[in-house]
Amino acid sequence: MFKHLFKLIWNKKKQNFLLMSEMLVSFLVIFAVFTLFVYYYNNYKKPIGFDYNDLWAVSYNNTYKTTNTDSLNTFYENLRATIKSMPLVKEASFCSDNIPFSNNQWTGDVHYKGGTSNADHYTADDNYKNTMNIQVLHGRWFEKADGMAKTTPVIINNSLKDKLFGSEEAVGKLMDEGDAKNSLRVIGVVQGVKAGGDYALARPAIYKRVDTGSFHWLGKIMIRVTPGADAAFESKLYKTMASYMKDSNVEIEHMANKRKSANLWSLIPMIVTSIVACFLIINVAMGLFGVLWYNINKRRGEIGLRRAIGATAKSVSSQLVSEALVLTTFSLIIGTFFAIQFPLLNVFNLEAGIYIVALILSIIFIYLLVTVCALYPGKQAAAIYPAVALHEE
Amino acid sequence: MLKNYFKIAIAVLKRRKFFTFISLFGISFTLTILLVLTAFIDKVVGDNYPDKKRDRSLYVSRISQSGKNTMQSGPPSFYFLDHYARTLKTPVSIGISSGFNGTNTYVNNKKIAVNYKYTNAEYWEILEYDFVEGKPFGKKEVDNADKVAVISTDMKKEYFGDGGSVVGQYIEADNVKYRVIGVVKNVPITSYMLYSDIYLPYTVAKDQGYKNNKSYGGGYFGILLARSSGDLDKMHDEYEAMIKRLKPEDKMFTTVNSHADTYIKAYVDTGDDKHSGTFIAITAISIFAVIVMLLPTLNLVNINITRIMERSSEIGVRKAFGASSMTLVYQFIVENIILTLLGGLIGIVLSFIALQVINSAHLIANLELTINFTVLFIGLLVCLLFGLLSGVYPAWRMSKLNVVNALKAQ
Repeated sequence: MFKHLFKLIWNKKKQNFLLMSEMLVSFLVIFAVFTLFVYYYNNYKKPIGFDYNDLWAVSYNNTYKTTNTDSLNTFYENLRATIKSMPLVKEASFCSDNIPFSNNQWTGDVHYKGGTSNADHYTADDNYKNTMNIQVLHGRWFEKADGMAKTTPVIINNSLKDKLFGSEEAVGKLMDEGDAKNSLRVIGVVQGVKAGGDYALARPAIYKRVDTGSFHWLGKIMIRVTPGADAAFESKLYKTMASYMKDSNVEIEHMANKRKSANLWSLIPMIVTSIVACFLIINVAMGLFGVLWYNINKRRGEIGLRRAIGATAKSVSSQLVSEALVLTTFSLIIGTFFAIQFPLLNVFNLEAGIYIVALILSIIFIYLLVTVCALYPGKQAAAIYPAVALHEE
Repeated sequence: MLKNYFKIAIAVLKRRKFFTFISLFGISFTLTILLVLTAFIDKVVGDNYPDKKRDRSLYVSRISQSGKNTMQSGPPSFYFLDHYARTLKTPVSIGISSGFNGTNTYVNNKKIAVNYKYTNAEYWEILEYDFVEGKPFGKKEVDNADKVAVISTDMKKEYFGDGGSVVGQYIEADNVKYRVIGVVKNVPITSYMLYSDIYLPYTVAKDQGYKNNKSYGGGYFGILLARSSGDLDKMHDEYEAMIKRLKPEDKMFTTVNSHADTYIKAYVDTGDDKHSGTFIAITAISIFAVIVMLLPTLNLVNINITRIMERSSEIGVRKAFGASSMTLVYQFIVENIILTLLGGLIGIVLSFIALQVINSAHLIANLELTINFTVLFIGLLVCLLFGLLSGVYPAWRMSKLNVVNALKAQ
């Protein structure tokens, strides 16, 4: 049966060539779209890693003019105490300006026993964990005594741990940033924070503790407020900070809003590609439908003859549908050959699993599409009366 | 002759309505997507409000220093632009402005997010903002560090409400009161070098970055204005020569890179000379356009072949009466172009609707997409290309049809 179908199609390879290339291209487009979807969904399922509700981010620029590090530290410690003492403020923490959902990124390579990984570098103080509500998976967060430690203590997130240490225990190990003399001791592993929004991955990250000179360049305060904090309170907080840091520009942003806009910017490409892909698919579906319908109408004589010698209506229509499916199989084999190169060559650095799922989904999708397009013409062909068809001939 | 072809084309279109619908759908939707894309690009890089003197301006948006494994890149500092770019002989004027930064202000317990930008006095002479009321600040106000502000129409509406003139009133931003001296028409945020809600003299900057920061990098943009568009090349070369003479600020860097470029080049400057932003942008757009056009074209070719083969008897008769292959090919291409133009017309209507929807969604502040002549012209070009692409192959297949076979198929 299959051999016969292949033969029929091979005989008409020239006519079928365009149809096949159309299926091939639509398969590749669908594959790309599904890869994007699977990738986003995969990321979306993972925890965001911190609590963005009732969390405010304050930007300032350090303009306190002093070269004395101690008085600088006192200046900012007092600011923190002032903020903390306000009603409705639960916790406040200083950190580097690469907060989640912002466009700032600091990256660098970290090494452990020959393994290397690029990681986001964050600087944060002892209160950061409780302000952000980050979950510590192993070990602990920074504390005051870490200031005295001989080897710089660092905290890494689970993405970096998986990359560098695998299933090994990371807490207590020494890593470095390319300079073996300045090693870093891992004291804790935290849940990764999806800094790019719900649809982005938690990149490997390393946290360093605020040290004596950090206040010269730090630029953000994260503030956790109680759920009742409103604009009136925000305005009061703003006034307090702006009058404390007279020469600085101050801006308060809500992390919940920043998350929304970060998500919007990843959703827009997805929406645009979906609209474009939908249009392409409708286009291809109608084209396939039209061409199949025409081809089948042209073969009325052949179908009439088959019916006359006893083929049932069902077998005629199923033959036409399977012919279309065999044609699809040809294009899918070629298409899969191209698609499989992505995980093999590791083109966009995505996990192979994402490609495989996308590949399976797109194969199913194309088969369904072709079946739907071939069903109606097939049914029409089956309805041909042998006498009428043969008479026309 | 053409009139005849036209009549035949219409008759054919009417005969197989389903096929006509498929073709028109494909053409019009492809065109819609391309037109919306073009309208977007045209707005983002082609709209010259407020910099109407683009033809004689060069823009400096980045300076980078690179060493063996390190690179540092960002907008230049005020000091760099004022100190080094000022030494150039060709520019008649140099406009300097900071990138926009955010702050808040609270009016009646309502929070307003404000973007502010610092500029020098020349900025207002080079750029022709439309002043709804008032006027820009000049050299005197800048030198005195007067707390004056030019605000956008949106800011006026949000802060003062729908009142009358606001010139002379005070606006509070970042805990400082500024006197409003002018209101300008909004600039979309996509013109990131020119957009802001509030424009302030650079001398009032709280961090006094214009005199404290003596390094190359620092968050300002520069616009160099030449006397005439003929001087652009000279100005560009002079700038490059000046950059070549600069020493890197740190031992770990070996080269300093910065360019005074045309608006579009500066707009997509990534600071990486090896992977220029222009190249990346053009590649991305072309790949998108090819994918969007490839499938509908293939589809149209398929449908056209089917359509033409259906008309084999007509072809046979015409050939038997002496029509040459060339005439037939010509006829079918004309027919196809008529079909594409018809689809193009629908596409223009559809994209008009799509743009209205996008504009009313307010995805990007102040971005008003419109179809203008550039966009329409590109649309027409795409249509013709589309018609040719999808018409030539079927016509060629048809012209090779044997008379006897064609007639026998009847």
